[in-house]
Amino acid sequence: MHNAYEVIPGTIYNIIQESPLIRTLQIRPEIPIEFQTGQFVELSLPGIGEGPFTPSSSHYTSEVMDITIMKTGFVTEYIHKTSIGDIVGIRGPYGSKYPLEKFHNKDILILGGGCGLAPLRSLFLTLLHDIDQYNSITFLAGAKSPKDCIYKELFSEWKKYKKVNIYRSVDIVPEGESWDEEICLVTKLLQKIKIDPKENPVIVCGPPVMMKFGTMDLLKYGYNENNIYLSMEKKMYCGFGQCRHCVIGGYYACKDGPVFTYAQIKNEEAIWE
Amino acid sequence: MLIKISDFHSFLYNLNESNNIEVVIPSLANGTENRFFFNKLNSSNNFDLGFFRTIDPSKVLFYQPRESVFPVSTGTIKRIIAGIKSCDMKSIQLLDKALINNDFVDSAYKNLRDSTYIITTDCTEIHSSCHCTLLDGKPFTESGFDLNLSPVEDYYLITIESDKGRELFELIKKKYGLLDAHESAYLEISKQRNKIIEKLVIQNEKFLPRNNDVLRSKDLSIWNEESKECIGCGACTNICPTCYCLILNDESVEKEFIKVRSYDSCQLHGYAKVAGGASPRPKMYERFRNRYLCKFDYMKKNFGEPGCVGCGRCTEACAAKIDFREVIQNISMNTLTTKQSI
Repeated sequence: MHNAYEVIPGTIYNIIQESPLIRTLQIRPEIPIEFQTGQFVELSLPGIGEGPFTPSSSHYTSEVMDITIMKTGFVTEYIHKTSIGDIVGIRGPYGSKYPLEKFHNKDILILGGGCGLAPLRSLFLTLLHDIDQYNSITFLAGAKSPKDCIYKELFSEWKKYKKVNIYRSVDIVPEGESWDEEICLVTKLLQKIKIDPKENPVIVCGPPVMMKFGTMDLLKYGYNENNIYLSMEKKMYCGFGQCRHCVIGGYYACKDGPVFTYAQIKNEEAIWE
Repeated sequence: MLIKISDFHSFLYNLNESNNIEVVIPSLANGTENRFFFNKLNSSNNFDLGFFRTIDPSKVLFYQPRESVFPVSTGTIKRIIAGIKSCDMKSIQLLDKALINNDFVDSAYKNLRDSTYIITTDCTEIHSSCHCTLLDGKPFTESGFDLNLSPVEDYYLITIESDKGRELFELIKKKYGLLDAHESAYLEISKQRNKIIEKLVIQNEKFLPRNNDVLRSKDLSIWNEESKECIGCGACTNICPTCYCLILNDESVEKEFIKVRSYDSCQLHGYAKVAGGASPRPKMYERFRNRYLCKFDYMKKNFGEPGCVGCGRCTEACAAKIDFREVIQNISMNTLTTKQSI
C-alpha cells in the first residue's frame, strides 16, 4: 500500500538568489516527479519540517524541479541556509492545476506580485512550450522595489518572444536603485492592456492584499468571475485534505485548490486572509 | 444467541492471556463509581461493558495522539476492543470515511483498524452530557461493529454484524454453552433500550433539533457573546471523537525522513496562521464558531453527515463549563428571534 506521507529525496544542484529574501532551489529528485502546472508539492528538510510550495519550472520537465521560496517563517529560514548538494524531500504533487485547455486560442492575462510569480513562472513556461495554441500572453509582474524583483534575467529573455507582452512595475524606487519600467502598484498596469475581458482568462497570484484588490479591479475591468483563476495560499500541512488547516468554507485549499475561480470561493469567509 | 455474562468475561480473559491478541475494555477510573476509560485488560482492573461512553473517545485507539505516519510501524498486534458505545461507533465510521477513501489512505490508521475487532455494547445508563438523540443517534449500535452485546439479566444477547464478528462468535461457541434467544429476551432488550432513549429525550427536551442554516448565520455578535468564557485551550477538539486535524513534524536524522503526526486544534491561535502572518481566524470567537461550523456544515458537506455524534465529551472536558448544546440553542434562538422581529 502506498504511504501518502512518503517523500522522494532530491539533491539541490543549483541555487539562484533572486532577491534578498527570495531564492530558487533547483532540485534533482531521485525519481522524476510529474506534475501539472498550478499544482504544489510539500518540500521538507530532514529534521526541520516541511511546507507547501508550487514548482516554478515548466511541467514539461520532471527530472528536475525549480522551487522559488521566500524567507518568511521557520522552515523557509532553514531553506535559505541550504547549500548545493544538500538533500531535501519532496512529496506530491497535490491539488488542482491551471485548466490549460480552457486557455486555448485565448488572450491570456497573468497578474502576479512578489513571490506569487513562482507558480506563474511555471504556468508561463508551460504556455510558452505550446505557444501556438494560444492567441497571446500578457504578463503583468510587480514587486516592492527593484531589488525585490525576481527572475530578472528571465523577463528580458521572455520579452523577445512573439505573442508575449510583459509589463513590470515596482511600488517604490529607493534612493540608489534604478528602474526603467513602471513605478506603481501592479494592479495599475491593467490600464496598459488591450484585451477584451469578456471571454478571456486571467490568472492571479501574489500577496493576499494584491490578490484581493487585483480581483476587484479585474471585475471592474469587465472580467468574468468564472475566468478569474486565483492561486490561494493557506496553511497546507498535509496536501490531501486531511489536516484541515487550509479549509476555505467547505473547500480545502490543498485538494479543491490551490487554483480556484473567483466564482467558486467568492461567498466563503476570510478568503484573502 | 445468549451467553452468560461471566462466560463472556472469561472469554476475554482467556484471549488476553493467550498472548497473540490484546483486549481493551472500559476500565474504572480511580476514585470514581461510574467513570471508565479504555485500558488494556489485566487482572487488577475493574471493568464494565455497560454504563455510558468512556471518558476518552475511541479515536485514541485508532488515531493516536502522536504516531509516526512515515514510516509506519509494522507488526500491529490483533486487538479486541469491547464496550464501544454507539456514539463512538458512529465516530469510527466517520473517521473511516475521512482516513480510508479513494483519494487517501492513512496507513497507520488503517493498520490499527484492520487488526481490531470491535465489540459494541448497549448503553445502560446516561451521562449528563449525553445527547445522541438530538442527532438521530441511539444508545445502541445499528451498524459498523463486529459483535454487539445487549444485556438481558445475567446474559448478553450477541448480534453478529460482520465476518470478523462471525470469526469471534465461532471462537466463543467452541468453548462456551450458548442459549437460543427467545422472543422474551428481545422484548426485554427493546424495553431497556427504550428506557434509555426516554431518559435521553427527557434530559435534552429543552434543546431544539439541529439547524445548520441557523449556525451559518452571518450575525457574528452572538458568537462573540457565546465564546466569552472560552479560553481557547483546545480540550474540546482533542477529546472529540471525530476531530482529526493533525500537524506533521519532521523527526528526521540526516538523510532519513520521518514524519510524525499529532493532534492539532482549530481553537488554538496559530492553527491556520501562514508563515507570512496572515490568519483567517485571528479572533477567539471566530475559532470558536469554526468548530460548530466544521461539525454541522463542513463535515456534512464532506461526509454526508454531521461531525457531532452527541457524546457530550466536549462539554464534559470544557474548563470554562461551556455546554455545546446550550451554545447551539442560544445561537438558534437568537437567530430565530432576530428573523421574526424583522
